[in-house]
Amino acid sequence: MNFKHKYVFLLPGLIVLIGILIFPIIFTVRLSLSGWNSFNPGLDFIGLKNYIRLFTDDPRFWQSFFRLSFLAITTVFLQYIIGFALAHMVWKDIKFKRFFRVLFLIPMMTTPVIMTVIWRTFFHESLGPLNDFLSIFGVQPPWLSSPGLAKVSIIVVEVWQWTSFMFLLMLAGLLSLPKEPFLAAAVDGASPFKKFIYVTFPLMAPISIGAIIIRLIEASKIMDTVFVLTSGGPGTSTETSSFFIFIKGLREFQMGYAATASFTYLIIMIISLTIIVKVLTKVLMRE
Amino acid sequence: MSLLLDHISFKPTEEYHLNDISLRFDSGKMYTILGRTLSGKTTLLKTIAGLQTPDSGSINFEDTDFLSIPVWKRNVAMVYQQFINYPHLNVRDNIAFPLKQRKMDENLIEKEVKVAMEKVGLIGFESRKIQELSGGQQQRVALARSLAKKAKILLLDEPLVNLDYKLREGLREEFKKLFNVSDESNSILIYASTDPLEAMQLNGDIIVIDEGKILQTGTAKDVFENPATAKVAEITNDPAMNINKCLIQDNSLIMNDSVQIQIPDELKSVPNGKYLVGIRATDIFLDDQGFAFDVEISEISGSETFLHLRNKNLKCVATIEEVKTYNTNEVVKINFDKSKIYLFEESGELRHSPYQQ
Repeated sequence: MNFKHKYVFLLPGLIVLIGILIFPIIFTVRLSLSGWNSFNPGLDFIGLKNYIRLFTDDPRFWQSFFRLSFLAITTVFLQYIIGFALAHMVWKDIKFKRFFRVLFLIPMMTTPVIMTVIWRTFFHESLGPLNDFLSIFGVQPPWLSSPGLAKVSIIVVEVWQWTSFMFLLMLAGLLSLPKEPFLAAAVDGASPFKKFIYVTFPLMAPISIGAIIIRLIEASKIMDTVFVLTSGGPGTSTETSSFFIFIKGLREFQMGYAATASFTYLIIMIISLTIIVKVLTKVLMRE
Repeated sequence: MSLLLDHISFKPTEEYHLNDISLRFDSGKMYTILGRTLSGKTTLLKTIAGLQTPDSGSINFEDTDFLSIPVWKRNVAMVYQQFINYPHLNVRDNIAFPLKQRKMDENLIEKEVKVAMEKVGLIGFESRKIQELSGGQQQRVALARSLAKKAKILLLDEPLVNLDYKLREGLREEFKKLFNVSDESNSILIYASTDPLEAMQLNGDIIVIDEGKILQTGTAKDVFENPATAKVAEITNDPAMNINKCLIQDNSLIMNDSVQIQIPDELKSVPNGKYLVGIRATDIFLDDQGFAFDVEISEISGSETFLHLRNKNLKCVATIEEVKTYNTNEVVKINFDKSKIYLFEESGELRHSPYQQ
């Protein structure tokens, strides 16, 4: 196969790639250098003004970013622990194994927005069933209207919704592990607990890293839960980066500035995820 | 000290994997479990190790009930047919694994690992990953791991089967030395094998097992010379001993209407009747005055040729001490070494062995 026009056959894929990936990125970069807003729409050029504003004069963006980091890391950590534990539980031969396997997957099969609406009702301060129950003990915590508890609520919903995904990945990982090292470890004198520490966990390290990274990427886009549950409130206490960008771009219509925030966010995420992968590989795989 | 198995049975499905096994293993000795594939060798070793719980029976070691002790607390080492190691650890850490489980002192571990690695010839491979080793090296890592553990009971489940010929011969020679099986070391070495030759070479006590049942126990010489049943004779010879139905009538041994031999003097006392006759492949030789057989298959193995022969309904395998090519359906004339004929009852029990006094 060596004829002149063979590259023509690459065009369909290339056009799609350019259309949905490369063009938007380049356009966002260009947009971030413009002052496009509702009063002054259009791609004018204002240099790095937006970036200077973002880095020197917008604590709200950085607060939302650190809040996001906190939420993402906490939820993914909890999802990993709980997901791994559940997967480990149904990995062994237990009764109703299949039933539990399906049961643990149900949250993932539900629609996140609708589930969050249900959770919002659940957490409702005066009408929700949770506080109705807690009133027996004489407490009625403001689940969604105190800055601290609102974060807890978001963490609870996120963990509930996405632990299933972690469970699925970890179970697939466990089922793909070779059986032999476990036989050897038992004979070599490793108790069930030690077997987990010295064999299961290290063997699961590559899968763990993959699962954690996938969930971290997903979790850092967290938007629907915040939007429905608290709308970023009370105040800005549960506002995350994507929610901030959404407000700037599609509510206040500061397109140029929102593009600046998006692009900055993208760069920070790429750098930090790369570092996280490196660190996780070092810690989990001892390399 | 000894390891006692008392009426061990294991029947996970319709078939027995272990059928009422009672054995005694004394420390400082080496045992070979000889049986064909799926005869229950691995199940038996796993049961001793504790990886499998029998349905009934008891195991006693050093006056303690072994079955009540979980696997990880039994002082047992096992080497498997497949090269089983820890893929996430390097060679050194693999060998150190059982010692670390015992919370041994780091310096001591270092020393023991080095000794074990020297014994199996792995020095220089300490920080290699398991996947970077050849099959033989991987098995040597597994061997070193079981050596370093210095367990009271060593279980070797066909450890050499998947290795190349040279390495197999070398390692087999060294087994006894390697594992230091002697009266002073008071460890028990149990070696499972499908290969009769290997079992003879190891020269320990032989335990013949088939379909989960112990058929015979005894020294290598004893089992070889006086197999208890026709089945044992088949299992303990490679190629399997030729066992055929025969009729003894008026001092002649009739295998079929054309193959009939005069019976040797020592068999004259055997009453007429139906028997099974057993002849080793090596006791059949080419003889121009002999019986005509058709060649079904001829295979060259090393410096010998195995001939699968047929005369009507009578089939046998003969080992010819030379390398020669035979065509299929070629007619060869063979004869039997009459002084090496075994006779079994129709039910399988040994009636006569040429080594019987």
